[in-house]
Amino acid sequence: MFIPSKDKSSGALELLSTAGTIGLQLVTATFIGLAMGYFLDKWLGTSPWLLIIFLILGIVAGFRDVFLEAKRIQRKDEGGTDDGDSSGQSGSGN
Amino acid sequence: MAGGLPEPLTFSEIINHAIGVHMPVHVYYMWLAMIILFTCGLMLRGRLQMVPGGLQNVFEAVIGGLEDFTVKNIGEEGRRVYPFMCTLFLFILVMNYIGLVPGCDAATANINTNAAMAMCVFLYYNYQGIKKWGFGYIKHFMGPMPALAPFMMIIETVSHLARPLSLTLRLFGNIRGEEIVLVLLFVLAPVLSTLPMYFLFILAKTIQAFIFFMLTMIYLKGSLEHAH
Repeated sequence: MFIPSKDKSSGALELLSTAGTIGLQLVTATFIGLAMGYFLDKWLGTSPWLLIIFLILGIVAGFRDVFLEAKRIQRKDEGGTDDGDSSGQSGSGN
Repeated sequence: MAGGLPEPLTFSEIINHAIGVHMPVHVYYMWLAMIILFTCGLMLRGRLQMVPGGLQNVFEAVIGGLEDFTVKNIGEEGRRVYPFMCTLFLFILVMNYIGLVPGCDAATANINTNAAMAMCVFLYYNYQGIKKWGFGYIKHFMGPMPALAPFMMIIETVSHLARPLSLTLRLFGNIRGEEIVLVLLFVLAPVLSTLPMYFLFILAKTIQAFIFFMLTMIYLKGSLEHAH
């Protein structure tokens, strides 16, 4: 359980962790959007338009994060092409 | 602290009374975790062996296993940023486990500790990204289509700012919740009910430390790889 080098237990631990991470990003992104809108409104005096716009953008950002996370899990599920192409990318990046 | 619950007596309060200062609980237990890790590190450095035994074996298995995991995910570049992540993992793990010792409290059950660590992660992965890509790091914020770039920039900024917040709240909520459950169960049925929970919480606290580690890795991977 402690040592993620074993393939099977690593997979289980990783899956548990991934399941634990999904969802909260949605909430926090919404709140960050709300806070950004609120303070921009206070600064620019355009109440309440920026609040509404940034709240919607925050919700969009949260959903996008959840979607990307789901895509990442799916890619990993399909046989780990994830690490193959990332090492290729970092190699070509240098 | 937990609402109207009876506050369990911790060693830190006894120390506070004895020397007449008032320091927050989490500071003591963070120092305790640091002392434990420093002691382990210094002890092991003194007598490193080719054939590891005992404590060295445990540390080699954990650190080596996590390094393999990182390299598998980020690529060879991951070795450069790995020490930062591994330090965080071990630190959080020790702090979480200290919460299970009777008379102690987990330092991660306080939001200040977690916020500090999450800010470190946030600054570190952006620093690594800027160091590697220079001004081109901004491409990571612009999304695939040039026409949508200003729109994507705002969305990416929101989602990047949400990362440290979600890291903080996740760790804080989980560890704090577990501490409260332990206190509640101890009030209901001392020892008998808390003992089985210990096994569950050892697993849950390991997972929380691993989640922090894994998310740090994912963020670093995002800042180190090509913009899509």
